[in-house]
Amino acid sequence: MSRHADAAPTAKTQTRSDAILTCRDLSVEFTMDRGTSTVLNGLDIDIERNEIIGIVGESGSGKSMFASALLDAVVEPGVTTGTITYRPAEGREIDVLDRSDDQLQQLRWEDISMVFQGALSSFNPTLKLRGHFVETLEAHGYDVESGMERTHELLSDLYLDPGRVLGSYPHELSGGMKQRALIALSLVLEPDVLVMDEPTAALDLLMQRSIISLLSALREKYDLTMVFITHDLPLVTKLADRIGVLYAFELAEVSGTEELLRSPRHPYTRALLNSTPDIESPLAEMQPIEGSAPDPVDVPPGCPYHERCPLATADCAAVKPAMEAASETHDVACHYWERVPDEIDLTTEVSR
Amino acid sequence: MQQYYLERTLQAVITVVSVMTLAFFLLRLMPGNPADAYRAELIQNNPQLSQADIDHRVEQKLNVLPDAPLHEQYINYVAGLLQGDLGESINEGVPVSEIISEALPWTIFTMSLALLLSFAIGISFGAIMAYKEGSYFDNGLSVLSIFCNSIPNYIVGILSIWFLGYQLELFPTGGRYSTEMEPTVGLLEPIQTLAFLGDALWHASLLILSYTVVAAGGWALRMRGNSIQVLGEEYLRVARLRGLSERRIATRYVGRNAVLPLYTALLIAIGFALGGSVILEQVFTYPGVGYYMIEGLEARDYPLMMGVFLVMTVAVVLGVYIADLTYGLIDPRAQTRGGDHR
Amino acid sequence: MSERTESLRAIDDGDAFEAVADKTMSRRERYRRLFDRWVLAPGRIIRGDVRARIGASILLLYALVGLFGPRLYTEPEVNQGPRSITPLSEGLTHPLGTDNLGRDILAQIIHATPSMLQMIVAGGLFVTVLGVTVGTTAGFSGGRTDRVLSLLTDIVMTIPGLPLIVILAALLEPQDPVVTGLVLTINVWAGLAREIRSQVLSISRHSYVEASQAMGLSTPTIIVKDILPNIMPYVLITFVNAARQVIFASIGLYFLGVLPYDSVVNWGVMIDQAVSGGAMHVMSLAHWLIAPLAAITLLSFGLILFSQGTDRMFNPRVRARHSSTTDTADEPADETTTTTGGGIR
Repeated sequence: MSRHADAAPTAKTQTRSDAILTCRDLSVEFTMDRGTSTVLNGLDIDIERNEIIGIVGESGSGKSMFASALLDAVVEPGVTTGTITYRPAEGREIDVLDRSDDQLQQLRWEDISMVFQGALSSFNPTLKLRGHFVETLEAHGYDVESGMERTHELLSDLYLDPGRVLGSYPHELSGGMKQRALIALSLVLEPDVLVMDEPTAALDLLMQRSIISLLSALREKYDLTMVFITHDLPLVTKLADRIGVLYAFELAEVSGTEELLRSPRHPYTRALLNSTPDIESPLAEMQPIEGSAPDPVDVPPGCPYHERCPLATADCAAVKPAMEAASETHDVACHYWERVPDEIDLTTEVSR
Repeated sequence: MQQYYLERTLQAVITVVSVMTLAFFLLRLMPGNPADAYRAELIQNNPQLSQADIDHRVEQKLNVLPDAPLHEQYINYVAGLLQGDLGESINEGVPVSEIISEALPWTIFTMSLALLLSFAIGISFGAIMAYKEGSYFDNGLSVLSIFCNSIPNYIVGILSIWFLGYQLELFPTGGRYSTEMEPTVGLLEPIQTLAFLGDALWHASLLILSYTVVAAGGWALRMRGNSIQVLGEEYLRVARLRGLSERRIATRYVGRNAVLPLYTALLIAIGFALGGSVILEQVFTYPGVGYYMIEGLEARDYPLMMGVFLVMTVAVVLGVYIADLTYGLIDPRAQTRGGDHR
Repeated sequence: MSERTESLRAIDDGDAFEAVADKTMSRRERYRRLFDRWVLAPGRIIRGDVRARIGASILLLYALVGLFGPRLYTEPEVNQGPRSITPLSEGLTHPLGTDNLGRDILAQIIHATPSMLQMIVAGGLFVTVLGVTVGTTAGFSGGRTDRVLSLLTDIVMTIPGLPLIVILAALLEPQDPVVTGLVLTINVWAGLAREIRSQVLSISRHSYVEASQAMGLSTPTIIVKDILPNIMPYVLITFVNAARQVIFASIGLYFLGVLPYDSVVNWGVMIDQAVSGGAMHVMSLAHWLIAPLAAITLLSFGLILFSQGTDRMFNPRVRARHSSTTDTADEPADETTTTTGGGIR
């Protein structure tokens, strides 16, 4: 059965105004002993220039794969298929997945950069921070002197003491400092797009908040487009203009942040919001999501969420719902998206 | 940090004194108490000597006051040791320290060469094996390394003497250098010096080979393990994405991070190498310190045997001590750690 | 909060380990679990790893030879065959040939096996018992006891093993294989003690041990129930290390004549006699030298394969000790694996 079975006016046919990255039918597969594991399944998404888009999903939903795929950096033996089109502000558009190794080396970090999940172990433990910046500039043929000036500025923007940080070994810095230094390192070659995979996962709440506000400032100052990938929906709502919800390796819903919080259309998004711990709301109202996400080797036909969905019908188990436009800025992949707000109450309220 | 250095120093001192104490009691327990044996010998050969003279001679020989109370003997012994007085060899009639200082350079010469050679070979192959993890090259060399590392080095020695020494007659089967060679080491006689060093190396080559074959296997396996671990690290993936050249990654990232933890192991191995020479030097009749230990044992020349033992122990203590003190300077990861492990 | 009471009840039942997983457990179930942990799981590990499998087969071969060989194969005696014949030269009568006194080489190999195995088992047990005792005591008691035991451990680890063994062998002149085994492994326990101490320190911070302590269980009970199962991998590795040291040192010392013997009790004696009997010079005597060398090498190879195979399976931590790379600074002579720079330390 094709994903495009019922070709109503779907969201993906509308090309957005000024997308800097366009993903079409983006998939990642691993061939294993017990079959082919599809860890990203036909994603269609546009990332607008200068926006911050949050990609939210529980662990094992394929969100880290999405981050890696954006740099064509999925680890062996994973295979990435589909297209990712990158449109620089000037010059011709680039097909990310169709680049030679040299071209890729250039694209990564110079155009699209990344902050990793394992921020705390992203630095060479036997190399001072300065070495990391210098070697990156050298590897890409940038002028080291002006590059280091920019490094100082970036570090200052991130409220770090450049002299001290650059003269330190990684283990001499705290987690939050390392995380901010890593962000600076990812911006040293002035990329257009910054992809962040769980950049705050290892940090305490206070540090998370402060990094979030720093990222907003950086976006303004350096005209960045940011892809912020996280499992933490309440956190990303503080930052993102738009949010995409990943469930079982597919996009369930993409919407402007306000609209998503006000009227989520996908049952999974609602469940996700309802399961969000909230200091202000009583414990009893918190609802864990029953059941578990499907195995990537054995993805059920139809809607991936039907086994856990309270609204599921026989139709849901058989026919995969296409992305439909609930509004100008709101796409959702659910057969019953129009009924969802009436059927499933929102018990907790997440504010921005 | 200061406390760490203090602790390490104190520990080294305590270890040395403990081993000296151990040596003192072991000496007294040795079968056919050397002091009595020597005293009997003296009386038999020199009936004219007075009791005091005999006592004096025994003390000089063994660094032991035979009739003094135990604690006095002990203090006397340890004080002597601390001044470098290891007693006198019963058979050779010269101070033990003299024999050892004559033999020690030869052992250090062979063992350090063997150790550095095995280290260089081991880490090179280990790194390549890690890069090719799972390949035929890796599997083959891993099994070979395990095999080499599982043979006692003196067995490799016996085999190499048998095959390369006696059967093929390619190498000498023992001794430090050829009998016709005049030992010459000096800047003013470069040709003779080179010829002598070459001859010495030729004589030591089978011994060095035996140690190297076995030890290289161990280093290769350790380096392989360390490198595989580093290759799986997040920072390596990030480095690749940052576009660094494979060469820089291999040297600054994989090599450095995998070798540094071996630094202490190497220093300690240097310390232990002296002790490891005991059987090997006997097999090759190579008169280094290990050779003299067994000689001393067989001739019941206990001061000699114990002197060698003490020197070997001090070598290990020094190796460990230097490793402890310098590791922080070598590997930045260790800097923040002090002596907080207890 | 029912979960907590459940686990407390299970601890009270004397089974802190299964407490988290199970609510009630029958006696039979518990035996099944014990069997699974101590028999089936190691068996699976051995079957699942080529190295462990080959190693275990080799060790089994030696065990069988040691147990039954002397009863099935004739004892070595002077003039039991023609002198100095090469292997297979008289069919299968003397499959590995004879030495210069007409003694059957295979008979010498086989009849030297039991004492070697006795030495290994004695040494291994001695090291294990002493190492576990000192390590757990130091780790658990803390304070002054810990400091004294740790210092002792460090000192023993610093004394070079082979020279110490040489001196002790000369002093004690051990004849009995069990005593010899103890002498040859006199310093090996220290490595295990140190490893176990640090394991105990880290494990005892785990909640289930705290829970046991809070329940007022006695220290020995906690050690047996909570600590011992977690340190099994180290025990195994140390046992193998001890065995290797027994082999390396005993052969060497018998070869040098440091250890006393009155008959061919050890492969090292064979090597010594072969060398002095001229096997190095005469090619037709080579079998006399090679047979004991092969016996030693194969046994040692089997041991290290076995230990490496099981080490990897037992211990997922082995290759994930990023943080502990720095530990080498404080734990210099720490040898978890069986690969060493050059043999006996």
